[in-house]
Amino acid sequence: MSQELIRNFSIIAHIDHGKSTLADRLIESTGTLSKREMEEQVLDQLDLERERGITIKAQAVRISYDAKDGKTYMLNLIDTPGHVDFTYEVSRALAACEGALLVVDASQGIEAQTLANVYLALEHDLEIIPVINKIDLPSADPEKVKKEIEEVIGIDASEAVFTSAKTGFGIEEVLEEIVKKVPPPQGDKTKPLKALVFDSKFDAYKGVVLYIRVVDGEIRKGMSIKMMATGKVFEVTEVGVFKPDLVNVDVLEVGQVGFFAAAIKNVKDARVGDTVTDNKNPANAPLPGYRKATPMVYCGLYPVENSDYDNLRDALEKLQLNDASLVFEPETSLALGFGFRCGFLGLLHMDVIKERLEREYGLTLITTAPNVIYQVFLTDGNVEMIDNPALFPDPTVIDHVEEPYVRATIIAPKEYVGQVMELSQEKRGEYENMTYVDDNRVMIHYSLPLSEIIYDYFDRLKSATRGYASLDYELHGYRPSSLVKVDILLNGEPVDALSAIVHRESAQRRGRQLVEKLRGLIPRQMFEIPVQAAIGNKVIARETVRAMRKDVLAKCYGGDISRKRKLLEKQKEGKKRMKQVGSVELPQEAFMAILKMD
Amino acid sequence: MKKQWEQVQGIYIHIPFCMQKCLYCDFASFAGKNDLMHQYAVALANEIRRRAAEMPVSERATLYFGGGTPSLLPIDDLKIIINALKETELWREPAEVTMEMNPGTVDFAKLCQYREMGIDRVSFGVQSLNDEELKIIGRLHTASEALMAIEQASKAGFERISADLIFGLPTQTLATFKDNLATIVDSDISHLSVYGLTVEEGTPLAAMLANGSLVLPSEEEAEMMYDHTISYLEEQGLCRYEISNFARSGQESLHNLVYWRYLPYFGFGSSACSYNGKQRMSNVADIESYIRGAAPTIEKLPARTSLAEFMFLGLRTTEGINLSIAKERFGVEVMSMFGQEIEKYINREMLSFDRAANNLKLTKLGMKFGNEIFELFL
Repeated sequence: MSQELIRNFSIIAHIDHGKSTLADRLIESTGTLSKREMEEQVLDQLDLERERGITIKAQAVRISYDAKDGKTYMLNLIDTPGHVDFTYEVSRALAACEGALLVVDASQGIEAQTLANVYLALEHDLEIIPVINKIDLPSADPEKVKKEIEEVIGIDASEAVFTSAKTGFGIEEVLEEIVKKVPPPQGDKTKPLKALVFDSKFDAYKGVVLYIRVVDGEIRKGMSIKMMATGKVFEVTEVGVFKPDLVNVDVLEVGQVGFFAAAIKNVKDARVGDTVTDNKNPANAPLPGYRKATPMVYCGLYPVENSDYDNLRDALEKLQLNDASLVFEPETSLALGFGFRCGFLGLLHMDVIKERLEREYGLTLITTAPNVIYQVFLTDGNVEMIDNPALFPDPTVIDHVEEPYVRATIIAPKEYVGQVMELSQEKRGEYENMTYVDDNRVMIHYSLPLSEIIYDYFDRLKSATRGYASLDYELHGYRPSSLVKVDILLNGEPVDALSAIVHRESAQRRGRQLVEKLRGLIPRQMFEIPVQAAIGNKVIARETVRAMRKDVLAKCYGGDISRKRKLLEKQKEGKKRMKQVGSVELPQEAFMAILKMD
Repeated sequence: MKKQWEQVQGIYIHIPFCMQKCLYCDFASFAGKNDLMHQYAVALANEIRRRAAEMPVSERATLYFGGGTPSLLPIDDLKIIINALKETELWREPAEVTMEMNPGTVDFAKLCQYREMGIDRVSFGVQSLNDEELKIIGRLHTASEALMAIEQASKAGFERISADLIFGLPTQTLATFKDNLATIVDSDISHLSVYGLTVEEGTPLAAMLANGSLVLPSEEEAEMMYDHTISYLEEQGLCRYEISNFARSGQESLHNLVYWRYLPYFGFGSSACSYNGKQRMSNVADIESYIRGAAPTIEKLPARTSLAEFMFLGLRTTEGINLSIAKERFGVEVMSMFGQEIEKYINREMLSFDRAANNLKLTKLGMKFGNEIFELFL
């Protein structure tokens, strides 16, 4: 197929602005799949994605479209993850395209997340086609949104397409715009192969399946290829396209989007952003922009049943096959026994992995509170990267500590500016600037410690702005901070898994809140349990979980044996999620208490 | 010779009528439906005739009329039921025939009639001997009426008289409870059931506690009442033989022991349960539906569930459980299945195990925190 007839594009949208529905309509209206074959939101494939209405893995589909000019075009839609945790993955998916549909909800307007992705797309010189969706809603104000797009993003929105993905209105027009406005892929088919990996997944039969965009040359079955970042060489066993199921073809030519498999056993050898080249006739330089995914957030994962340790390791290994950004290594906690310290791209990534471990692998887990990585500069000149509060060095050997900061973008209605600034200030934020998005909304930039974002910044932001604010952030380097470790003691014994790193100024308050919270969360037992917070040897707060006075069903006769049994069963079920720490049973919530204090 | 657990050892008759429902009550009892009593007695007699041959019944099977307030049932209606029991030979040489009564629903003449009909044990729902406490929980009798009823029962020839008391009632103090207990022990009772108040969801009591119009004694006070009950009754020669039950020697409730020993029983009447060793069958709770003949619900009890129930019921008694019987009935060696956990509780002095007798039982401490141990076997 002629390069001139190919269009590669992706869709940028805020969560709930209708991205998946629009993608479904595009696929459906071109007859790529019949209605019968259409399952709601075909592109989101994990159960979890469907439930949460989010995209975690990038997906792709090839659409054949008979345009009004009488020609048949090959449209490749690359659907991207829509969450800040996956910004790097989004940037690679965008790098594989020449254009993007910017989908904005006609009543909601632009949100911070949308903006971040539009800027990413503009960085990659993508042609942006504004699509104003949900115009069927009574509250829709497409003209206002148009103006917003022009003023905030600075692109021409005069030809924005009005759609209702729900009713199918405007879909044809979107397809025409793609053909007209998105440039066909450049690239030279005579040059050595250069293909960008924008995602990969593990298949039990094929090995790793790499999602690629051919930038130069072509790739076909039997070819010996080289991964330029890792230097590994493989022989291509299959080449194909997404319809959206994998369908084999003989060759993927310049400009095309598709997949290949090469008996690659580990996703680590097929990293997102890497460049695939011809091993016999390699390109002289890889495509720009590759970097190794680095975890931003860490937590400990422990099986409630110690005997599940091996199962947990197996499950993590299996998930890692599909997810090169998941890292883990064994760790031991005095309180929790054997488990793993796991690194994630962000909180959503963490939640998703945890939920999959429990759902798909039937494990019952205790998760410790997530934390960032601290750079601890020791007095002896060494620097330690600390990803577990329990391992925070003794204060006497610490010269200073640095923690990761992010540059946060907040978009909120102007009447909430005061609240946003107050909150950000409280969270140790540094104000950068503020601009008007439109007559009613402002965009505020702050520099904030990542740990505060993980803690409760977003929840607080949402409640301070009654849900109207949106937030995006990017990592912005490390900065010195005055940090201390707060330890928690139960029955006088420190529980390492409950330790937290907090800012010195808030240590007292956080310690007090934490023990109060724990007092409410720890089920009463036959004895009194002192709960203390301490910095070093100094106890800064103390509460007591009162002893249970008695616990026995008073009556049990013939008629209510079943009912009483069920009561006991329910009680037992509730204890399953508890971890015995010394003589105290701790529920999962206790380990998350540090995150949920108000 | 049939094993004990292959025969019905107890027969329960449920009489769901009440003058007024108590504030804490969530049992299948109904006030204001007394016009249904006759129809109900007829339906119950029919059930007895229909089901009597379901399973072999021990000649000595105990009988128990519970409620509700069985003493509200007119004598003629009671006779319809008793005739059915005798006719079907479920009532032959019963080891015990108990009837629950509320003070204020019986007089001397009625008690004599009951005695003549072969009822030989009464259980009075006394609950408290403090008029203020009684009023608050919606009881219709006074303390003196309760004591009077006990006295008259004794005069009518009842040698086995039991009373129920509740501790932890709204407004109750350790002092008023101690008075209650001392007064009842001085009466002619030979058996006492003492329960901590359980606040059941959906009862008026639960609502009143939630909105603050009633207040319960503190947990510490309730614990003191519990501790006092155990030590005081022991002193007074009323031995604890189950978590909440105390009796003078030989005065234990044989009928209730059938439940705790997990032996088969028949239950007739609305909401009554029957257990045949393999399944539990529950009649509908609604009186009208029962009269219309609505089908019971059946719960199959797999071996594992049966064992669990056997354990947590048996452990309620001070005699505990003979593990050889567990092995014989359920084919399970309890010590090899739960040994590790049991060991833990033996070390915490909540369980005691007599190796020679192969007997497992709760200690005094274990009884206080029984739920934690009961859970083990589920």
